[in-house]
This record gives sequence, C-alpha cells and structure tokens, in this order.
Amino acid sequence: MSVQSLEIRRSSASVWGSPSGMRSVPTVAKYIDTSTCIGCKACEVACQEWNDLPPLSTQQVGTYQTMPTLDAGFWNLIRFDEREVEGGLMWLMRKDQCMHCAEPGCLEACPAPGAIVQYANGIVDVNQDNCIGCGYCETGCPFDVPKFHAKTGKMAKCTLCVDRSSVGLEPACVKACPTGCLHFGTKEDMVALGSLRVDQLKKGGFTTAALYDPQGVGGTSVVTVLAHADHPEWYGLPRDPHVPLGVRFWKNILRPVGLLAIAGAFVAAVGHYFNFGAKQVQGSADSETNLPQV
Amino acid sequence: MSAVPIRDRALDDAVTVARDREDVAVGNEIVRHRLSSRLIHWSVALSFFVSVLTGMPIWTPFFRWMADLFGGLSVCRFIHPWAGIVFTVISTVQFFHWLGDMKLEPNEKDWLGPRAWKYLKYQGDDSEVGKYNGGQKLFFFAVSLGALGLLVSGVVMWYPLSFSQLVRELSILLHDVTFILFSAAIIWHIYLGTAAEPGTFGSMVRGTVTKAWARLHHPRWYREVTGQK
Ligand code: SF4
Ligand code: SF4
Repeated sequence: MSVQSLEIRRSSASVWGSPSGMRSVPTVAKYIDTSTCIGCKACEVACQEWNDLPPLSTQQVGTYQTMPTLDAGFWNLIRFDEREVEGGLMWLMRKDQCMHCAEPGCLEACPAPGAIVQYANGIVDVNQDNCIGCGYCETGCPFDVPKFHAKTGKMAKCTLCVDRSSVGLEPACVKACPTGCLHFGTKEDMVALGSLRVDQLKKGGFTTAALYDPQGVGGTSVVTVLAHADHPEWYGLPRDPHVPLGVRFWKNILRPVGLLAIAGAFVAAVGHYFNFGAKQVQGSADSETNLPQV
Repeated sequence: MSAVPIRDRALDDAVTVARDREDVAVGNEIVRHRLSSRLIHWSVALSFFVSVLTGMPIWTPFFRWMADLFGGLSVCRFIHPWAGIVFTVISTVQFFHWLGDMKLEPNEKDWLGPRAWKYLKYQGDDSEVGKYNGGQKLFFFAVSLGALGLLVSGVVMWYPLSFSQLVRELSILLHDVTFILFSAAIIWHIYLGTAAEPGTFGSMVRGTVTKAWARLHHPRWYREVTGQK
C-alpha cells in the first residue's frame, strides 16, 4: 500500500509521469551476502510475521528450500542449490525476493494507474486497491517475482518493508538475520560494503566473486554478493536481465503507433468525405443515371 | 387532430418479407439482409464495442475514462475476456452464416491494390459487382481472421501463468496489432456504411435497399434479383 509520506518517482500507467525531486531522498538498498548465508530461514519467518502473512504449508522440493517459487503469500524465499565446484561440494543459498529494479519491468507493463509505484527512494511497491489482477507484471518482470493472490486476485510481493524503512527501521528480514549477511542502507553504502566483501572473497580464493547489481534494469535496490558470479544461474538469477523486449516494444512503439493509426483512419474518413462526398443514388432504378460508371 | 403519418405500404411489405428471406425484390425495394443476418451483425457489433470499450482503458491510460462507463478498471478487467468470448462465438456464427456469399472471384484480388483506390474515388467499374464487392469480401475474411487472432492471444493473456514468457510476449503484441488494425478497419466500415454511401445503413436496419441503390452499388446482384438489365 502506498506510503503517503514518500515521494513517488514513477507510477504505472500514468499519462504525464510522476514528477519528483521536491525532496532529496537517497536511493536505499538491501545488501545480501550469499557467502555468509547459512540458510536458517529466519528472514522467511520474519517476513511472514511483519507482513501478517499467514503460514503456508511448505513443499518438499528435494532440497532445503521451503517451496518451489515465491508466492503472493510468501515474499521471501531462500533458494538452495547443491553442486560440486572444483572437486568440493557447495551449498549455494540465495535470498530471493523482489529486486526493486531501478527500471522495473513490472511497472512498465502494468496497465492500471498507480497499481505499481516506485518511490523516490527506489522501492517498488504495489497498491492492491488499484491492481486489477491482469498479470501483465508477471510478463514484465525479468526475475519472476510478481504472483497473484488466490483469494484477492491481486498481485503481491516484497515491499522492502516500506512501512518500516520509511520510518528509519531496517526491513524485518535484515533485523532477523543472525549472521549479518543482510544489511540495509543507502544504495551507495551497500555497494561499497559489497565491494569490500567481494575483495575479501577474491583474496580467499573465490576469483569470480562479484556484486550482482544488473545494469540491464538500471541496477537494483537489492545487491547480492555472489561467490560464483560467473554463474548467476546457479543462484536462480538471470545473467543479463532486461525489461523484456516485447514489453518495451509494445509500450514504447506499438502503442503510440497504434494510437496514430486509429486516429489516422478516422481523419482519413473525414478527409475522404470532404474530398469526395457521398456516393449518392440518383433518380430511380429505371433511369439511366444509376448505371455504374465505366 | 394530429396528422396521420403516411405509410409506405410497399416498404412495409418489403420489411415483412425481410424477416426470413433475402435477395428478393418487393416493389421498389430489394431485401438485402434478412432478420437473422441483421441480428448476427448487430450482436457481433455489440459484443465488439463492449470488448473495445473495456479493453481500451486497459490498453492505455489515455482512455482510462472509458472504464467509468462500466464502473472502473477492475470491472473492465472482469468484463473484457467474457465479452471477447461472446464476440468470438458470434463471429464464428457470422463466419459460417456469410461464408457462402463471400466466395472470392478470381479478379477480386485486385481489391487489395489499385481497385480499392478506384472504388474510394468512385471511379471503379462496378458493372460486375455482385451482392458483395471484393473489398467487402476481403474485409469479411480479415475480420474473421482478426477474431481468431484476438481469441488465441486473449486466452494466453487471460491465463498468463500457463504459458511461457515468449508466448505471453508474442500474444500481447498480436492482441495489440490485431486490435489496432481491427479498429482502423471498423472506422472505415462504419463510415462507408453510413455517411459515404447513403441508403446502405438501412440494409442493416430494415433489411432492405432501394432498387436504385442496388443498381448503383451492386449491379450484377441487382440483375440477378430483378431479372432486369
Ligand atoms: S524484481 Fe520484478 S517485481 Fe521487483 S521491481 Fe523488478 S521487475 Fe518489479
Ligand atoms: S496484476 Fe500486475 S500488471 Fe496487472 S494491475 Fe496488478 S500490478 Fe498491475
């Protein structure tokens, strides 16, 4: 639900855009270090608790993962992957949730005015009262995050605890994490923290470590340290996420062109009428006047 | 004493005949569309406009105001797919109802090109035009194909999670392109059927046209129906 005290940078399906800039608001971000995550799932529980989401029955997927994907009633999922890397066994855990993209595909695709908003601080949020449950956001999101709630028919996802962060508290997941692998602050600080950790990892032998902050979507307000950043797919992350081409083409080209085409057809019809007038029937059938012209 | 309107007996007769027969001359009138044809046409039109008016506000916020005709965007989102289903069902009925009359003749392919321009400039040679001209036949097949495209892509958009990302994106584009072409075509369909060609609209209301109209626009059909030259 949109937070009144926060300035809105972008709003779905808005004709004029949402001018912001009255306040000086730094972009915030959540920092996730997958290399120190122990998979305890305290964040999953904290998320359910803070957001008053009723417990969902877990699904056995053959790993230590709670359920196969995110859900409209389950916004924070520790993904689990077990694989052999250079002769050693690795448990790869990644906290999966909305990435709060700087250029959110969900927002771009959404047709309902104000259903998805991006606050000036970078958080992407859903207004369920404006959402019409069309599902375009699912097609727009490169991270497979938005899901429908079976009961409400509306989209729901992680809000980056906007109700907490807007009053100076860290998100519930960050608060609950026992290992300190989650942090919350300005994007700048979180990226700096990430670079420090990446350097440490590199020194420790993880030469391909890097911070996942994909520029294809303008960067994200969830930055993730990956020890094996050359294989983001091991963590269930796309290598080079973008707002899908089809969605961009549809909104930025097809729609304006279509509007022009429809208006053009109308103008052409009016023009035709002024130029050629009506094809009048003259006289009766028997007179020569109605013989078709040759 | 109020004036008693003068009733055109011949026209009344024609309208009566038009209930269940078409392609017959009654007095100075010719029945062009019997009642069932007209009902099908207007059912397609009605479901089309409900679909358009509920779809356009979802298409772009410029038309957000249309949603208020139905009680808001959520209502539109609910009505639109069902109106679309009704539209495709009646369009299917329409397709088979008219298919027999719509057989394309060999030279009617020209209507895709210069022949259509000539027609619009009122310079075409219409002497061999039967009940429907080439443009009308092509329009018939185009809207039937369009209805199919809207149905297929619409089902995907209705149940996005049952289809892959690629199929979903393609469906959105197909739904859009079809809708755009469809709307442009319908604007011209309405224009030609009303302002541009007086006497045509009546064929979809009363069911009849005058002989003079038939001789001007569809001479071969006129000859076939009346046996006159
Ligand atoms: S991750 Fe998906 S749902 Fe979250 S902001 Fe990006 S596009 Fe939207
Ligand atoms: S389902 Fe997604 S795209 Fe559709 S209105 Fe709701 S938030 Fe917007």
